[in-house]
Amino acid sequence: MINVKFPHSSDHHNITGSILGFTEFIRSQNFNVGLDESNDALTVARDGFAREKLIFKYALKAIFSCSYDDSKLFDTLFEAYWGRHDHEKIELQKHPSTFNLKKSSENSLVLLDFAKHEDVGKNEAKSITGSSQIERLKSTDFSKISELEIDLFEELAEKLWKQISLRLKKRLKIGKKGRLNLRATIRGNVSNGGNMLDLKFQTRKKVKDRLIILLDVSGSMDKYSFFLLRFICALRNYFKDIEAFIFSTKLMRITNMLHNELLNDVIVSLSQSVDHWSGGTQIGNCLKSFNEEHSHYVLRGRTITIFLSDGLDTGETLLLEKEIQFIKQRTRKLIWLNPLKGSKDYQPLTKGMKTALPYIDTFSSAHNLNSIIELENILADV
Amino acid sequence: MKDVSLIVKSFDKLGYIVDEELATVLYLVLELGKPLLLEGNPGVGKTEAASILAAYLKTDLIRLQCYEGLDVNSSVYEWNYQKQLLSIKLKEISAQSDSENAKNIFSKDFLLERPLLKAITSQSKSPVLLIDEIDRADEEFEAFLLELLSVFQISIPELGTITALHKPFVILTSNRTRNLSEALRRRCLYHWIDYPDFEKEVAIVKKHLPEIEDTILNDLLKFIHVIRTRHLEKGPGVSESIDWAESLVSLGIKKLSKENVDKTIGCVLKNSSDIQKIRLEGIEHLLAEQS
Repeated sequence: MINVKFPHSSDHHNITGSILGFTEFIRSQNFNVGLDESNDALTVARDGFAREKLIFKYALKAIFSCSYDDSKLFDTLFEAYWGRHDHEKIELQKHPSTFNLKKSSENSLVLLDFAKHEDVGKNEAKSITGSSQIERLKSTDFSKISELEIDLFEELAEKLWKQISLRLKKRLKIGKKGRLNLRATIRGNVSNGGNMLDLKFQTRKKVKDRLIILLDVSGSMDKYSFFLLRFICALRNYFKDIEAFIFSTKLMRITNMLHNELLNDVIVSLSQSVDHWSGGTQIGNCLKSFNEEHSHYVLRGRTITIFLSDGLDTGETLLLEKEIQFIKQRTRKLIWLNPLKGSKDYQPLTKGMKTALPYIDTFSSAHNLNSIIELENILADV
Repeated sequence: MKDVSLIVKSFDKLGYIVDEELATVLYLVLELGKPLLLEGNPGVGKTEAASILAAYLKTDLIRLQCYEGLDVNSSVYEWNYQKQLLSIKLKEISAQSDSENAKNIFSKDFLLERPLLKAITSQSKSPVLLIDEIDRADEEFEAFLLELLSVFQISIPELGTITALHKPFVILTSNRTRNLSEALRRRCLYHWIDYPDFEKEVAIVKKHLPEIEDTILNDLLKFIHVIRTRHLEKGPGVSESIDWAESLVSLGIKKLSKENVDKTIGCVLKNSSDIQKIRLEGIEHLLAEQS
């Protein structure tokens, strides 16, 4: 019998039930918790951890958390569950949805005005599944994703980013014969008495190009920049050597912020710290500061430069031409992804786009998930 | 809990200030025998926690530093090929049969143990196995680790399967430069080491540098806490606080002024753009903010 000091958990049976209930509760809050974790939690409770609430909380936190986000959320969940009376706990186990916790991902949606009506249709969106819905979402323009579909869309996008990253990695493994692998040759020929009859070769590791991405975050790109920023983060998993910048009227380097786990925080902090977010566009000026301040260390060796912009420019055309020419001379491939190109009637007639077009190797759209998937083929060759 | 407070006290004696939460997690590592994944910003003491745990247990610390391209040959075992070849040549002179030859050269005498194999073949007691910066290793290596962390055994085709006599206490650290797989995370206990609060950091620096005066220590830590709130590419960790304190003491600086900070800022910030950012904001302004 354990002398538990928690209210309403005075015997062994109660604590076991409560722990199992807690496991169920935090599973409903998207914690990845299985039987092993429940078992470990019961073990620590039996070992006497349950005698002190704080220590018990620390122990359960280490067992149930898998990531930084989990560990930050855990304290709130622990208090929400263990601070209740037994009958309330049972209610919480039965109806976990009665416990409303603001998801961290919702912070990021503030940028897109998606968080205005946070509860509207959330459950409905989650309940809609099936291949037709997924296919439709893949071809939906980023700017037309409704509030109802945002959860499902984010989930789908996340899966696709992972798949793209994985596929790109797998392609790397297929390689031609490279130089002689001395270690493997010696080992393979030990049975031949040390005579080198079978030669082993080292698979040549493909040298990946450095990827430079310049994302337009001006007002006209508002509906796209959030999704495209996520795409950049996904690329980071594949291209270790990636440099990312955002621009509108000013340029800002964001390479070190590209962690998926921190993405939502990054977007919020960016929108707060970048005074030009959702502002006008002066591509020429921004490229000038890119060339002056960053080109000396990023535009060297084998580089691919990707512009993610609609090309709506209010700056000087001559300056834009001069700067893009400078980049073109120093990069192996210049790719321009324009979300507007997704519409049927689009023609690159804006002055910014017209100026840049002669220097672009690949001009493609980036308005929905399908167009991003197509980009995978371009990137696989670089 | 007595055991948790014993860890707190023992670690303190060994020069590592550990809070109750981390002490509980370390106790669980010893009790449940599960690996621990420690995440946190660089310089908050993740690696140090493992080495102090080894000292606390009076056991060996076996460290595997991860990097991109880390493979089985560098992490588990490798045959000593030169020695094998020499042995073959020598035995050619003697009249030994081929099968005997092969048997001999694939014995433990010719095996080079790398950290992971060393950790599971420990004879006396469970060592602490530190797998440092796992986020730097490739995903393939991470997948390989999954097997090892579940069963604590390694298969060597020529020798058979080697199972751990004493299961090592495994600590993995990560700076979150990439996402680790869910499978690996689920096999581990998890703990996030945050930057310490002001009082704890005072105690940590004092532990390393007992001779430091309170005034300068308070000033430098307040300054560090202020710049941690800025969005820097690499914010200063505890190790930077200690480095800076040591530098200021050895330079005989008793008071933190704009000039002193300017001269020694390289001890705190290790990135030119961060230094530039702080200088642009104004060191004087930051010093004023701290007070």
